[in-house]
Amino acid sequence: MTISSESQKRIDAYLKRVRKGLRGMASDDADEIIAELRSHILDRAAADGGEATAAGVDAAIKGLGSPESLAGQYTTEELMARAQVSRSPIVLMETLFRWAGLSAGGFFVCLGALFGYGMAIILVLCAVLKPFHPHTTGVWQSTERSGGLSLSIDLGMDSSTPAGKEILGWWIIPIGLFLGYGLFVSTTRFALWSIRQYRNARELPRP
Amino acid sequence: MKPTPNADREPPDKWEVQLRKGCLELAILASLWGGELYGLEILRRLASDSELIVSEGTVYPLLSRLKSLGLVESKWVESDAGHPRKYYLLTPSGRERAIEMAQIWSRFSAGLGRLLVPLGKGTAR
Repeated sequence: MTISSESQKRIDAYLKRVRKGLRGMASDDADEIIAELRSHILDRAAADGGEATAAGVDAAIKGLGSPESLAGQYTTEELMARAQVSRSPIVLMETLFRWAGLSAGGFFVCLGALFGYGMAIILVLCAVLKPFHPHTTGVWQSTERSGGLSLSIDLGMDSSTPAGKEILGWWIIPIGLFLGYGLFVSTTRFALWSIRQYRNARELPRP
Repeated sequence: MKPTPNADREPPDKWEVQLRKGCLELAILASLWGGELYGLEILRRLASDSELIVSEGTVYPLLSRLKSLGLVESKWVESDAGHPRKYYLLTPSGRERAIEMAQIWSRFSAGLGRLLVPLGKGTAR
């Protein structure tokens, strides 16, 4: 099959923009996507007459849509697949970090999940460490100089007792474990739900 | 099935868009039931055997997701056209999933069909 160098250039320019949108994806995967799209454009351009024409190439590229939105669909589909296959928070966070680089929505979801998992870990750690540092681990309430009330969670790694009044005592063990676990589960649900919402929000365009 | 006239020109409503999107995964798995196909063949199969006319920019990313889910696998095959083509084929778990989805679909559409019988009588010409 012959193809004019001008059409070739047009294909290259289009695929270069798609490739740019796939940043963050494993390089092998991205290369394979580009190779498949190139093969599709060549087939599609040749479909009508047998020879790939400049008009055919243009139509094929138009059929694929804008390079940015095409790359966006690939990355979202990949995010979805990863989140579906694994429920591990590590994989989920990795996915969210990538998503954060792609859109503002992803950034906020990532921030929220980071906070959720962080708090969950602290609560559980607090419960676990309480028996080892009974006087310095727990939740402390203190009145600030400005009059505001502040709560602080202390893991008791240093020997000084925090200022203020400890409010939970040994209750930190069941409460910390319960809240920590609850927060952990709900953060995972929230992250998966957000990814699903993001995916559903993308409409299916028709040619 | 006969294509509805004007089907391509009417702007699809939101519900229809969601419906099509929801069925696309099953449609793609079903199109691969008879053997391996490359992307453009899948698109043509969808367009000719069903009214699922979908954008090319939707099918390729979806194929890549089905692959990461382990429902299809792919291989590159040299072609007469001078460039290799990426062929997709169902994995055993893809076959299982397709059967499962087809059963759910049949049950669902039969149930909804019964519910819609009175509506059909109302519009019968």
